[in-house]
Amino acid sequence: MHNFAISVIKIRDVLLVTMPPDPDDSTISALQDKVLTSMEKFPAKGLILDISAVETLDSFFARTVAETAQMVTLMGGRTIIVGMQPAVAVTVTQMGLTLGNIETALDVDRALDLTAKPAPLLKRQR
Amino acid sequence: MSEVPPSGEMRIGAETDIVVSRRTVRDAATQFGFSATDVTRIVTAASELARNVFKYAGEGVMRWRHLETNGRVGIELQFVDRGPGIADVEQAMEQGYSTGGGLGVGLPGAKRLVDELEIQSEVGSGTTVTLKKWRKT
Repeated sequence: MHNFAISVIKIRDVLLVTMPPDPDDSTISALQDKVLTSMEKFPAKGLILDISAVETLDSFFARTVAETAQMVTLMGGRTIIVGMQPAVAVTVTQMGLTLGNIETALDVDRALDLTAKPAPLLKRQR
Repeated sequence: MSEVPPSGEMRIGAETDIVVSRRTVRDAATQFGFSATDVTRIVTAASELARNVFKYAGEGVMRWRHLETNGRVGIELQFVDRGPGIADVEQAMEQGYSTGGGLGVGLPGAKRLVDELEIQSEVGSGTTVTLKKWRKT
């Protein structure tokens, strides 16, 4: 019912997922399904998760994002989080929440530049 | 943003009420003059506690109140449920401890975001979590 609130579009060979400002738990859970099915359908090299509109990132949200990123990694992609608001960054850090081993970028432009380069892990394997 | 009375209560009985509680607390804290960062801290703490009410008790109540004592201004939030209660409150406050399949960061994380957080709980009769945050002057 709330799935419409998450937008998934494909730019170059990555998925750009934009989160709404104040998603409920089922919208956050739908993120996982939507991202994984889109990864397969398109198929994409990775995921840019735009959270610039997000006002509250609590432990449930953080856990879902970390899990989704892990699943994307298992599917051979990478995840870049962009646009975390300063107040959200302060709060997440103070709470001791971790988003796992996720790349971050200031905005979507910079994230797209990042995806043009090999993932840090791939670089190390060479 | 909508006008919120200086004190009030709302029922938490559905998952979507977690969102409603966040909005209510955001409006209240903004109205009470908290900074944007403090509003985010308070709202995030409220989100954790409202989710706990729904997740563990199924339903409950959130109360909010404008505080003013000795020239200090603040907000008090109270989350009351008649759920299973917490057997070991000290353990529940430990980072990484969870009985609900979560990461065990919600309650200890919420405590770090506010100035005071108090838990009264009795197994079988419910839990009341009260938190306070004072405005920096």
